[in-house]
Amino acid sequence: MNLFHNVRAQWLAYAVFFIVLALVPLFVGDDVFLLNQLSMYGVYAMLALGISLCWGFGGILNLGQGIPFGLGAYGMAMTMQMQTQDEYNPMPPFMLNNSLTELPWFWVPFGNTTVGIILSIAIPALFCAIFGWTMFRARVSGPFFAIMTLAMLSAIGTLFLGMQPYTNGANGLSPPRSLQLGELTVDPYSPGSYWVVFGLLLIATVIAKLMTLSRSGLVARSIRNDAERVRFLGYNVAAYETMIYTVSGIFAAVAGACMVVLSQYVSPDQFDPTFSLMMVVWAGIGGRMSLLAAMLGAFLIQGGQSYLGDELDATWYLFLGTFFILVVRFLPKGLVGLVESGLGRIRIGSKRNDGDSAASEVSLNPQPGA
Amino acid sequence: MGFFEIRNLRKSFDTVSVINDFSMELVELTLCCLVGPNGAGKTTTIDLITGRQKPTSGTIMFIEEDITGFDEHQIARRGIGRKFQVPAVFRDMTVRQNLEVAFTRTTNPLKNIFRFREPGFAGKLDEILTLTGLGPRLNVEAGILSHGETQWLEIGMVLMQNPRLLLLDEPVAGMTESEIEKTVGILNDLKKTNTLMVVEHDMSFVRRIADVVVVMHMGSLLAKGTIKDIEADRRVREVYLGEEA
Repeated sequence: MNLFHNVRAQWLAYAVFFIVLALVPLFVGDDVFLLNQLSMYGVYAMLALGISLCWGFGGILNLGQGIPFGLGAYGMAMTMQMQTQDEYNPMPPFMLNNSLTELPWFWVPFGNTTVGIILSIAIPALFCAIFGWTMFRARVSGPFFAIMTLAMLSAIGTLFLGMQPYTNGANGLSPPRSLQLGELTVDPYSPGSYWVVFGLLLIATVIAKLMTLSRSGLVARSIRNDAERVRFLGYNVAAYETMIYTVSGIFAAVAGACMVVLSQYVSPDQFDPTFSLMMVVWAGIGGRMSLLAAMLGAFLIQGGQSYLGDELDATWYLFLGTFFILVVRFLPKGLVGLVESGLGRIRIGSKRNDGDSAASEVSLNPQPGA
Repeated sequence: MGFFEIRNLRKSFDTVSVINDFSMELVELTLCCLVGPNGAGKTTTIDLITGRQKPTSGTIMFIEEDITGFDEHQIARRGIGRKFQVPAVFRDMTVRQNLEVAFTRTTNPLKNIFRFREPGFAGKLDEILTLTGLGPRLNVEAGILSHGETQWLEIGMVLMQNPRLLLLDEPVAGMTESEIEKTVGILNDLKKTNTLMVVEHDMSFVRRIADVVVVMHMGSLLAKGTIKDIEADRRVREVYLGEEA
C-alpha cells in the first residue's frame, strides 16, 4: 500500500504541518506586520480547505466560495463596527452621511457581540443550505452548478456595492477599533491572534478529515463516481451534496470573519469573482483531492503573489495562468500528485503488503478506515 | 392486499405512450420474469417502479403502501433494490467499498459524519461473498473486474441493501455460459429468501429460473403464466418467440 494513502501517515503529516505552523510566531520576532500577514495565510488555508472538501472530495465545483466568505466577513465587520457605537451615537458615521435617520433593522442584532459573531457564521451557513438544497434538489450539478454559484456571487457582490446607505458601498466597512471580547481586546498583530486563526484552521481540518473518513465521506465518493447509482441504494444525494456544500461554506464564513478581525476592513471586493476563482486555483495547483495539499497550494500561490506579484505586476497573472494550465494538463491531481507517485515507488516492507501486493498495485485509492 | 402490485400503469412522453394500462402483481418469495421484444417497455416499467421516472397515471403498491411518485431513495429505503441493465458500480472504489456503501442502514448525512463502521457489516459481507464468490477480489478496484464479476458485484450491492424485492435488469447480458450457470445458482438461492423480478431476453435462461413469466408487448400485458403456458401461447409466439426462432 502506498504510504500516501495510509491514514496514520496522513494524520502524522497533518500533525507535522500544524506543529510547524504553531512554532512560526516564535521565529518571526518583533515584525508584527509580518506576523499579521502570516495570520492571513491561515484565512487562505481555511478557504482552500473548504474548496478541497467541496470540489475535490464532494465533486462539487464551487466558483462562488466568495459568497459565504464575504457574508461572514461583513457579519464580523458589522459586529466590530457596532462595538464602537454607543447610545449617544448609535449609528455608524457612513449611515449619517447617507442620510439614514435610524439604524436599519438588520444591523440591530449585530449590536450584541455574541449574537453578531453567531450570525456571521449562521447567515452564510443558512444561505448555503437553502441555495444548495434548491440547486441539488433540482439535480443541478457539475458545470451548471459552478455557473450558478458564479452568477450568485456576482449578484450578491452587486447588491452589497449598490446598497450604499446600508453597506457603505464600494468603500466597505472599516471598524475603527479591534474586536473586543468582553474585557479582552483582540490585537490582530499579536501571536495570540495568529494562534487563534490557526487553531480554528486545525479544528476545521480535523472536522474535514473525519468527514472524509466517515461513512458520509464514503457516500460522497460514491456520488462522485455515479450519483444515479447512489440514489438507488437509498441515499438522498441532494442532502449529501447540500451538507458538503454547507460545511465548506461554514469554513469560508469562519475564514471571512477571521480576515476582518485581522485586517479591520471589508469591502465588496470580497465578492470579486477573481478571488473566488483564485481559491479554486490554489486547490487545483496544490491538489484538490488532498486537504493538506490544497492548503499548501494556497500558501504557495499567495506567497508567490506577495513576493513576485509586486515585482511582476500584471505579468504575475499571466505566469499563474500558464502554471495552472500546465498543472491541470500534466498533473490532474495537482503538485501533490508528484508526492503520491513518488511514495508509490517506495515499497514498504510491512507484512501486510506481501499478501495482497497484486491487489495494492491496482488499488489507486485509499481505503478509509483501513 | 398483496405484496407488490401495479395497477393501470401509464407512462407517456408528450403524445407517445410507452406504458399502456399495464397491471401485474407479484407473490412473495417467487421469481417473476418480465419478457418482451425490444421496446415493449420492460426497462421503463422498472424505471417507474424504482422512481427514476414518474408514471403519468396508475398506482404502484408495495407492502400495503402506495409508492407511486416517490423519489428513488425513498423507494430504495422501503426495500426495493435494483440492478441496472448496464452494470453500475463505483469503478474507482474497491469491491469492499462498493459493498460498504451499499450496506444502507443509516442514510442520514449528518449522522453518517460520525459513523465510521456500520455494525453488522462484517457478517453480511461474508454472506454476500459466499454467494457471489467475490472474496478473492475484495480489495481490487471495481473498474478492473471482468464483466461477469461486475454483474455479480452489482447483485451483491443490491443484496447488501437487504431488499424485500429485487429488480434485476438483464443480469446475464454479456456473460459466458459458465458465468450464466453460476448466476442461475445464485438466483435460485435467492428465491428462498427474496422476491425477484428479472427482465430477460434469453428464453433458455428464463426457463431455468422463472416461477412466473409476464410478457409485455407495446407497453401492455400480453400474457402471464408459467413458462409452459407462455411457450404454448399463440399470441406470444407471434410477437416474441416467433421473432427469435
